[in-house]
Amino acid sequence: MFRKKSECQQLEGMLSSYIDGQLSPSQRQRIEGHIEGCDACRRELESLRATLNLLHRVPMVLPPRSFAIAEVVPKRRAVAFGALRTATAVAVIVLAFFFAGDAFHLFDAGLIQERYAQEVTPDAGDILDKGVTPAEAQGYEWPVRQIELALIGVVVALGGATAILWQRKRQGEKALRG
Amino acid sequence: MVEDELIQRSREGDLDCFNQLVERYQRQVYNLSLRMLGNPQAAEDATQDAFISAFKGISKFRGGSFRTWLFRIAANACRDQLRSLRRRPTTSLDALPLELEWDRHTPSPEEYALARELGEEIRRGLLALPADQRLAVILRDILGLDYEEIAQATASSLGTVKSRLSRGRARLRRHLEPYRELFL
Repeated sequence: MFRKKSECQQLEGMLSSYIDGQLSPSQRQRIEGHIEGCDACRRELESLRATLNLLHRVPMVLPPRSFAIAEVVPKRRAVAFGALRTATAVAVIVLAFFFAGDAFHLFDAGLIQERYAQEVTPDAGDILDKGVTPAEAQGYEWPVRQIELALIGVVVALGGATAILWQRKRQGEKALRG
Repeated sequence: MVEDELIQRSREGDLDCFNQLVERYQRQVYNLSLRMLGNPQAAEDATQDAFISAFKGISKFRGGSFRTWLFRIAANACRDQLRSLRRRPTTSLDALPLELEWDRHTPSPEEYALARELGEEIRRGLLALPADQRLAVILRDILGLDYEEIAQATASSLGTVKSRLSRGRARLRRHLEPYRELFL
């Protein structure tokens, strides 16, 4: 009794491969010999076959939409985006450096001194018009304000370009997902 | 255009050629995802993710069966979706019913209703299987892959495929046993 149960249990795991013709001839003979005398295993084999037939009747559903890929973000644009982002970050850092330097008078001349110079020297504007830089006029070594303004312009331009590319990248990824 | 040529051109970045491959396989990939996930929206996401991953990684395709390679990517996409579905309990696997398409020409409404009921039980039975067994059963019994292809698609040995199929089918058989009179 115990031996028979063990045989049934062993063969149960092989029925699936038996149905698919994946067993060696000797294993196949063993199963066929067994089910001839074992109603339980024969019924189980029939039931398993019926289950598989049922699965074969499961239809292939039509996809609800096409999964074609609409657009791909070109690699060139991705590289440009990375470079622009880095350039913007560098420009912001340099600008911050100038602001900090300016605020702490590290350039030996700052906005405060320059403003002061303009206030106490009424013809400071004339000096500028004549092409004489404030640095020369006041002894400044750095044209700090001009550099800052230029850097602000650079940051705005680079930041704007980065934002536009980022926007396009997002649109591209959205399109890629359909 | 033959498949090899489409694959080669896709490798060179030709999106139109890749999309021809998408058209060829999207039905199978979608059905694999649908049966794996039991959720049409998640199946759509998994299918789209699979094709995007396939296009990005097509240079890694080393020949052999493209379909099998694609199924492997789709199986991974399904795994990701399953994780995501588990994190969102409001869209549990059972929450959204999956309507099985049965033969519309079934003679009587009663038989049609029974077929629908059975379809629903198959869906439940499949979803009750562990994911690796479910994948093996779907690939073999619904999509018709052979054992070697399943081994490649699941990165497993033939022995593992046999074992997963055997256990998965046996569980499914037990699940459907109460409905035996409907299909035997």
